[in-house]
Amino acid sequence: MTANRLSGVFVACAGLLLLFLIIPANTETVEYGRMRPQTIPDLCAILLVAFGALHAIRPRGEVTIEWREVLRFGLFAVIAAVSLVLMGRLGFSVIAPVTALVVMLLIGERRWIWLATGALIIPAVVWLLVVQLLERTLP
Amino acid sequence: MPDMDVLLAGLSDAFSLVNLLFVIAGVMVGQFVGAVPGIGPVMAMAIAIPFTFFMPTLPAIAFLVGVNKGGLFGGAIPAILMNTPGTPDAAATALDGHPLAKQGKPVKATKMALYSSVTGDTFSDIVLITISAPLAVLALKMGPVEIFALMIFAFSVIAGLVGDSMIKGVIAAVFGLLCATVGIDPEHGTPRLYFGFFELFDGLPLAAVAIGMLAVSEILRRLASAGSTPRSAITSLDGDDPTVSRVSWAEYWSCRYVMARGAVIGTVLGAIPGIGSTAAAFMSYASAKQASDEPDSFGKGNIKGIAAAESANSAVMGANLIPLLVIGIPGSIAAALLISAFKIHGIQPGPLLFEQQGRLIYGLFGAMILANATNLIVGQFSLRLWTRVISAPESVIFSSALLLCIVGVYMSTGGLFGVAVMLVFAVVGYVMNVFGFPVVVFIIAFFLGGSFETYLTQTMVILDGDLTRMINYPIAVALVVLAAVSVWWLGFRNKT
Repeated sequence: MTANRLSGVFVACAGLLLLFLIIPANTETVEYGRMRPQTIPDLCAILLVAFGALHAIRPRGEVTIEWREVLRFGLFAVIAAVSLVLMGRLGFSVIAPVTALVVMLLIGERRWIWLATGALIIPAVVWLLVVQLLERTLP
Repeated sequence: MPDMDVLLAGLSDAFSLVNLLFVIAGVMVGQFVGAVPGIGPVMAMAIAIPFTFFMPTLPAIAFLVGVNKGGLFGGAIPAILMNTPGTPDAAATALDGHPLAKQGKPVKATKMALYSSVTGDTFSDIVLITISAPLAVLALKMGPVEIFALMIFAFSVIAGLVGDSMIKGVIAAVFGLLCATVGIDPEHGTPRLYFGFFELFDGLPLAAVAIGMLAVSEILRRLASAGSTPRSAITSLDGDDPTVSRVSWAEYWSCRYVMARGAVIGTVLGAIPGIGSTAAAFMSYASAKQASDEPDSFGKGNIKGIAAAESANSAVMGANLIPLLVIGIPGSIAAALLISAFKIHGIQPGPLLFEQQGRLIYGLFGAMILANATNLIVGQFSLRLWTRVISAPESVIFSSALLLCIVGVYMSTGGLFGVAVMLVFAVVGYVMNVFGFPVVVFIIAFFLGGSFETYLTQTMVILDGDLTRMINYPIAVALVVLAAVSVWWLGFRNKT
């Protein structure tokens, strides 16, 4: 089964999950009015099941997955998530330069002038712009 | 006929010093980001939206329009100098632009791109200014039933035209609608799909979703693929002979038919939601080649090839705003982002805009014309600067852009929860891209989801819950039939 076809199966299963589990558990039941709170979400879930199944049966288009890129994307997404959590505890001024430095080092930047620009000057400019110029707070 | 007082007041707002400065800043930012392959005006607009919260409405919108217009030309610079389009719509420009640059005329190629871009854009803006108000008057005659049917039609066209599969387009649109239902139900006031997060009572934050899917997703993808594809060499501007670097009036005038055709193609396609500027540029390029006496010279540095592509892709921008201003449906992702900017400033796009916010709209029109003039002037003088920008390392550009996204969403949502939503949707956007589900369709459906539900609710009340009564609304019936035809034509017939 190709990845393209699998994506249709996944969409259809997600639709079923929404229809029978997620939407009923997270939507209040109201017994009056033309449109219930769950009407549109249910309609969307039904359409996801129908079109997901259709796509699984007759997949269109090409899907090529570059696993190396996917893994690296996951790595950078985790770095962003961790820096977000740490930013909430330690603040932007500490974590932003570290995040920028880690990201730059991971993609192979070794020139100290660019590392300094990205890790020190840019976060400082952002801080000046937001805190001093716009008078807003940062985490 | 618009009220002359409102028109003049709007234009005077547009030509105020503050607005002029924001337009200049927007155009400069747009040309800058357009010149950097991988960023582009859409990502720049998404990042800039939270920063416009704190601006007055017209300068905020004018700034975003400037970013978009500047980006349309900026994308042509790396296309010509590196054969790497800064934006997808500049890909057609590279076909003749890069060969001309390789012949030792990079400045001439870039200037022709600038002149034709501004020409196409100005034509499109004039069409927008001329026809949008009369069309809005017509649109005001439509009730909720017709608007609901129109939305169905727009969704079917967008889902069919964007991407390589109608089914994937429909799935993306449905997923966008589903995400728009998060929060308080508009009819009963009960919360739904909030998963215990009270921050979601107001729905998923627009800025977080847009920035996550359009900017952060792309930044993380570029970071993930950094180093695997070496950058192309830049054709230096220094070697350009000054005697051949300028575009003479005769050369410009010789391209008038090509530019006019491109501007018309761009305007017509731009007014149809979902087609986009890349299709317009290639269509215009193909028609210019077909109409030429020397079709073999295309692809080898023919200046008319550049004119055809740039006039068409830039003409899309103004025309994209026609459905936005007339019926409140965005024609493109940039228009969808403008909708979010309008909403952030408490303005609901649609036909009532001309009645309720006439001054703002005529101010916007003035700002668009001003942005075209600014694009021309800034582009003339900053070409060498943008060439330096292209050479800046990706490491600095993308790490800085990531920080700006985090800060922008933090400011607009007032906390880290919005930033977390942004990251979740960055991953969702990436997965959708990998599997070929069009993110553009998702975003447009997500932005229109609230209105869609409202109009559906009103339609159900008007029709007393019986959809067969729609037969009494011939325009609505025609639109639904058109939607069915477009599904068949665009999906099951052309994409089998």
